[in-house]
Amino acid sequence: MDRRTFVKRSCLGSLALSLDHWGTSPAFSQDVIPPAPPIHVTEPVGVQVSPLRMPGLYPGRVVEISDARSIVANRVSQAVVREMLERGMRELTGEKDLRQAWGKFLQPQDVVGLKINPSGAPACCSSPEIVREIVAGVQSVGIPVRNIIVYDRYAYEMDIGSYQTLVPKGVRVTGVQENKLDASGYDPDIFCEANFFGEWETRSYMANIVASGVTKIINVPTMKDHSAAGVTGCLKNLGYGTFNNVDRSHRRPFSFTDPLIGIMCSTEPLRSKAVLHIMDGTRMVWHGGPLTQNQDFIFPAGLIMVGTDPVAMDTIELEKIEGKRSKEGAPSVWSRDPKSLTSDGAEFYQDASKNLYYRQPHHIAAAGKLGLGVSDRKVIEHRMIRIS
Amino acid sequence: MLGDNARSGGQPSQTWRAPRRTRWQISLEGAVRGSPILQGELLYVPSLAGFLNAINIRSGRLQWRFKAPAAIHSTPSLSLGRVLFGCDDGKVIAIDAATGTKSWEVASQDEVWASPIFQNESVYFGSADGNMYAVRAESGAPQWKQMLGGRIYSSAHVAKRRIYVGCGDGNIYGMDAATGQVLWKTATGNGIDCSPAVDRYSVFIGSQDFVFYSLDAGSGAVLWRYEAELGISSAPAISGDLILFGCKAGTLHALDIRTGKMIWKSRIGQAITAPPVINGSVVWLQAGFTFALNLSDGRVLWKANLGNSVQSAPVVTKDVVYLAGMEGEIYALE
Repeated sequence: MDRRTFVKRSCLGSLALSLDHWGTSPAFSQDVIPPAPPIHVTEPVGVQVSPLRMPGLYPGRVVEISDARSIVANRVSQAVVREMLERGMRELTGEKDLRQAWGKFLQPQDVVGLKINPSGAPACCSSPEIVREIVAGVQSVGIPVRNIIVYDRYAYEMDIGSYQTLVPKGVRVTGVQENKLDASGYDPDIFCEANFFGEWETRSYMANIVASGVTKIINVPTMKDHSAAGVTGCLKNLGYGTFNNVDRSHRRPFSFTDPLIGIMCSTEPLRSKAVLHIMDGTRMVWHGGPLTQNQDFIFPAGLIMVGTDPVAMDTIELEKIEGKRSKEGAPSVWSRDPKSLTSDGAEFYQDASKNLYYRQPHHIAAAGKLGLGVSDRKVIEHRMIRIS
Repeated sequence: MLGDNARSGGQPSQTWRAPRRTRWQISLEGAVRGSPILQGELLYVPSLAGFLNAINIRSGRLQWRFKAPAAIHSTPSLSLGRVLFGCDDGKVIAIDAATGTKSWEVASQDEVWASPIFQNESVYFGSADGNMYAVRAESGAPQWKQMLGGRIYSSAHVAKRRIYVGCGDGNIYGMDAATGQVLWKTATGNGIDCSPAVDRYSVFIGSQDFVFYSLDAGSGAVLWRYEAELGISSAPAISGDLILFGCKAGTLHALDIRTGKMIWKSRIGQAITAPPVINGSVVWLQAGFTFALNLSDGRVLWKANLGNSVQSAPVVTKDVVYLAGMEGEIYALE
């Protein structure tokens, strides 16, 4: 019999987290977004809180490794990303020995989930080349290959990315659900509950693979604009890639990704298990995310970011995407100009001045407010390594 | 698989006529990734709920269904009155095509998404455990297995004495069908989940390195290569002097089979991972929508939004097109 017990906590989404808008959101003075409703979290009690839990061993530290050779003619170089990841792991941990570096986060008895981002495959998704290097790093600690699981919520998106074929033999590759309405892969006892728009199902459940299938998670997000959240990076990949029924948090033109993303990431045992974040920035989607296939908006940024603090990493990611959008003449992701909205998806995918929602990049600072990391740019320790 | 082992597209050619209505529609338990296959009056459709479904095409009703121990991604094939398919628990199962009762099963050590191929009284299949297997078609008794360098999701092409298959290690392998001995291997720049097509002298296959290859079937030497925009999972189809394949960039390419020169390219939109099916002057393709294109120039003749689809290919007959949507909807269009 399952002897777990659960506790309900409430997050005053609109009040406690949004107060922080004054300090962090350039858009707040013109904000037109209604306040978020209260969000209730039901999570297990008695979970042993890990000392590695987010923001992890290195709060506020972001290691960025760039190498223009990492992506050439839209192909990611295995050899180059290997060197980038090795340099990044050493810099993050201060360890000269790579095995020691990986060993800061993993033990041989761990079952390790690699949470990839295949949405947007094949144009922009977690590169199989980087996933293969992470697998090698995990194995270096003595973890058997069968205890490494590459996963995401949607199996069909992983199929399009051909991850099954491209990862080493023995690694398990699994999707939590096979189609949109399949809830069998989710834990009915761990959920976030809120009524955003009068939807009939007001709960989002945690994936079993996170709740009970793995002991550690390495998060492998991509670097992308997101039409509702502002950007999708560590937090969005982890939160919305762990809980189901998340599309309901946005209905045009409004989005409650702020604060839902941060609240989901703060839910145990997800918060304790996500010990390392390796952002694939070989490609950057600066408009049309998360699903665009339009190569006009996909930039070969040629970088990888490594850290344990998802808030700090997403803050840097946001800065980079804002910078690229500005350079390309696209509106800020903080824009609240109703003229930039369109209800035509095709127009959104072709025109960088248009969007489907008022984006909510403030979800990053809100997650910081929940204790998941550092969002103050002045405090973030951004270490940059340029290889070539 | 897909009508014949040569992957020439399946059924005999018919005059083009756009489907006008749905003859029947049935909803199966579980999502569908593999392609349906047709023999006689039964349409066999695998599902991720672990069922092999046999649908009577006259009534559109389920005649029987067989519960496998795990999800079925593998497109079934036919041999000696049996339906063969691979399973996510590593088994390949043969069941009686008429009754749905199990004849035999054989186990590998990891999932089998590739189609088992019947030839020379044997059944050949690759597994994610990295082995190619040969078993007796009558009993499933093992004949040989051969370890390759990576996971195998490519369905093999089996000629009388040769096997050709792509592998996750990025190599295309030519093997002896009788012994499993590797006769040659040719490297590409990334893993391969595409299934090869073969004409008399050449092997054709795409790779995740964005390149489509023509190889000498005897030696594995590269005859020509053609660069696409993104990775290639879609198995090619051959019609006369043309070879067609889809690319994940959402483009369907038609090349001169002898030179690799592009004859036409058609932008479909969504990522293509399914094989095109050629029927006379028409190419059928599922990539989100279902498309019919003109074989001579790639022009879209007809399209319909019939259940989003990944990896599946339609069955085209004289009067009816059968196709599977990703969510488990099966359509008969006439």
